[in-house]
Amino acid sequence: MIEVKDLTFSYRKDKQALHSLTFKVEDGEIFGFLGPNGSGKSTTQKILTGILKGYGGQVSLFGQNMNSEHTQTFYQKIGVLFEFPYLYSNLSALDNLKYFSSFYPRGQLRDAEELLDKLEFIPDFLKKPVTSYSKGMRQRVSMARALISNPQVLFLDEPTSGLDPSGAVLFRRIIEEERQKGTTVFLTTHNMLDADLLCDRVAFISNGNIAALDTPENLKRQNSSRYIEIDYCYEGRQLKKVIEAPELEDGIPFAHDEIISIHSKEPTLEDMFIQYTGRGLS
Amino acid sequence: MQKSLPALIKKDLRLMLSSKFFLLAIGSLVLYSCYINFVYVNIDQDIFPVYLYDPHHSLESLPSFVTKADSRKELQEAYSDGYSVGLDMSGATPKICMISSGSDKTDNYRAAYALSALSSDGSSHAELIGKNDREMKNRREITSEFLFFELSAVGFLGLAAMLFKEKHMGVIRIHGILPINPNIFILSKLGLILLSDLVFAVLLTLFNLGINAGISVLPAVLLQTGILSIIMALAGFFCAISLPDFKQFSLLYLILAIFITTPVFLAGQTNLSWSWINLHPMYHLFMAMKNAYFHTPVANGTYYTVCAAAIILLFLLARLRLTREMTKEG
Repeated sequence: MIEVKDLTFSYRKDKQALHSLTFKVEDGEIFGFLGPNGSGKSTTQKILTGILKGYGGQVSLFGQNMNSEHTQTFYQKIGVLFEFPYLYSNLSALDNLKYFSSFYPRGQLRDAEELLDKLEFIPDFLKKPVTSYSKGMRQRVSMARALISNPQVLFLDEPTSGLDPSGAVLFRRIIEEERQKGTTVFLTTHNMLDADLLCDRVAFISNGNIAALDTPENLKRQNSSRYIEIDYCYEGRQLKKVIEAPELEDGIPFAHDEIISIHSKEPTLEDMFIQYTGRGLS
Repeated sequence: MQKSLPALIKKDLRLMLSSKFFLLAIGSLVLYSCYINFVYVNIDQDIFPVYLYDPHHSLESLPSFVTKADSRKELQEAYSDGYSVGLDMSGATPKICMISSGSDKTDNYRAAYALSALSSDGSSHAELIGKNDREMKNRREITSEFLFFELSAVGFLGLAAMLFKEKHMGVIRIHGILPINPNIFILSKLGLILLSDLVFAVLLTLFNLGINAGISVLPAVLLQTGILSIIMALAGFFCAISLPDFKQFSLLYLILAIFITTPVFLAGQTNLSWSWINLHPMYHLFMAMKNAYFHTPVANGTYYTVCAAAIILLFLLARLRLTREMTKEG
């Protein structure tokens, strides 16, 4: 679906933003692009969505080279959620969706009210202007805007930003449903939880380079220390012991009265990011 | 295109309504028309009042515009306003007394006008050219000036205000990933501003020139309105999309008003003559508008070619800045 080979881009002659990026996103895959601010995530997404031109290397979407002039058909196949909920504040949620959907063929469109209902948008606000909405409500309308045209490829930039925990869970569920429908999702984020829970594969990007690319599980497993931390009680005292995972094969290998907790010392995706890039995600 | 344009026009119309653009235009129309009909046409400033001190009663009959002064002191007081002219006939030859206006040309006019009072044979009647009486001349002149001001200043500001709203909301960026041509985004706004300006021009002309005189000048006026409206709307679009915020735009607007529009008004309305004014593009647009109201077709092929080139250039610049704005973030 998306194929990128030796992608380079410079905003100025002396400032190269992307250094020879190469990756491929398969049909129906959720591909995470993880990196801190200024790492080149948004630049890559802009090139993939056809906004930014003048790059080096090869980029193709839907088997078509991105260097050729984008037709309206190309934009009919993609949906983009920006990091900030850009909407017409003088219009209501329904009017915004009606306006943005008017550029797509009618047969391709989803029902706006149904979509907003799915995104748990408060019905009382359907016809009220966007100025009266909370950030979470604006983000829901923006998500509805990205989904309303039933895109084949969905570009999501920090989709759960500005949402409360239940909203974030809802958005993850909806993204997962999209994938099940066959939509390819390109997720740009520095939220490692989103990436860990949603992505089939993730690429760590830092200073315009891809430092690692694999499934979240593989990235964590390959670098796991395989230690296990056990909290237990023995002879009235609370104790803690760290053992290697294979030692557990024959049960708890030390005397104890009660096991309080067992923690695998598996690294998080953020730990892995720091290990590969030498810098944090935030 | 067939589907995109109506959607964009509808959205822009709602933006214009919410930004009170039409309210401002209606307010201007009412204000201008009231001023023209109730104030301007009634302003009839006397041309250089003339005072005469003639102790020897050497003049038998005096024209109506001459006022008699009984003493030299009274004469002196009368012309000391810096505008009136005094004629002192106490000596063998008439003496002209006045405070200089600062312009030799104007002082000569004043002196010649005052001396005409001494010739009693009535041989200096001016020949009347054209059909305009003074009131109609005033109406045409002031209407063309108000229309020029409305299009060059208010139209420029109106479109920019609308665009700044969209910039502030960030929605321009969304249009970069929608299946529409950026040209249509510009054309929709341009079309609405043009239509609004044309309606404004029709109403202002008919209200202030009357139905018959108004209709007779409308084709030429609408042509000049269209040209000026498109140029100013595109200039407003370009400035608004290029500048980061409305404060900087306001400063630019001030510069535009003071340094661009003011010399044009001064050159077109007063007897100040600057040779460089011919190099000022707005002067030609102003004069073309004024001439349209007086049935004077002075605009030639070069004028229209330059206007067309300016429109194309401004459109391309606006499009370039629009596509740059679409790639911005945050």
